[in-house]
Amino acid sequence: MTPLKRGFLSILPIVSGILPFGVVMGATFSEAQLPFWQALFMNVALYSGAAQLATIPLMKLKTAVFVVVGTGLIINIRFLLYSAALAPYMQKAPWWIKVFCSFTLTDQSYAAMSAHSDSFETNEDAIRFYLGSALGMFFFWHSSTLIGYVFGNIAPASLNLDYAVPLSFVALLIPSLKTNNHKLVALVSSLLSLLLYPMPLRTGLITTALISIGVAWVLIKRRKV
Amino acid sequence: MIEQNYFLTNTLLMIIGTVCIRGSFIAFASRLKITPITRELFTFIPAAILPAIFIPATFFHQGQLDLIAGKERFIVLLICLGATYFIRNTLFCVGLGLSLLYTLHALTA
Repeated sequence: MTPLKRGFLSILPIVSGILPFGVVMGATFSEAQLPFWQALFMNVALYSGAAQLATIPLMKLKTAVFVVVGTGLIINIRFLLYSAALAPYMQKAPWWIKVFCSFTLTDQSYAAMSAHSDSFETNEDAIRFYLGSALGMFFFWHSSTLIGYVFGNIAPASLNLDYAVPLSFVALLIPSLKTNNHKLVALVSSLLSLLLYPMPLRTGLITTALISIGVAWVLIKRRKV
Repeated sequence: MIEQNYFLTNTLLMIIGTVCIRGSFIAFASRLKITPITRELFTFIPAAILPAIFIPATFFHQGQLDLIAGKERFIVLLICLGATYFIRNTLFCVGLGLSLLYTLHALTA
């Protein structure tokens, strides 16, 4: 099977998490009475569900531009880490591949790729796999958002579908815990995320990630000494 | 109703910022010198960021830390962590988790 196809298929198990999230996103657009072209523009060009869900209620309240934009960018700053992690594969890639990969970088496409990172023989394989997962994510995300926009939030709350995305991240985390140090960093991140959650403007997420990366760096350095 | 110019200003600024964030390292990938330590550090990114997304979704899903009301999700999380360790399949993990959560809610309702 080609890496592109494997990448696309790698997204399918996560679809159960993407679809409800996309439907909620579409319903949020609809409830905010955004015209279809505006919803489409934001969804395609910004392509960041968490930032969109956080900023639309702020815009409904006519919050200051710097607060809305700042909130969105702080939520999206985690993409900096994903971009850094993808960079080694992209060193010899043509510019248009770099543009496409940057534009389609999401939690799910990155997580799907990192969970399969051991299976890539070359950087070209890795890029093709990533393109497959990114295309899958792009298709399912926009389809589900469209359903949410047209039909509203059709899923009953009793199904707890909002928990499907976190559960899919649990499944994607486990294969990445290759050593005790990885497990320790995951534990530190778990505890810090609880402690730092109340930080303003949802900065707890990126603060937790950066401190955890710092812990990982210390662990690597200590082992090398 | 969100005023059109206000919406477009906010959205365009977020798009520009997000494109810069997403493209930052990838754009300069060819010029980056990636040491073995940095390469190893990248393998820690999922461990550093994924728990920071799903742990708050387990304990803070009602807007505040609530160990009592959130205990079903905590139980589901523990079972899913254990089960996924042996059966590494995302669909299995999501299906198991949601079915358990539905059952636990039905039992405690």
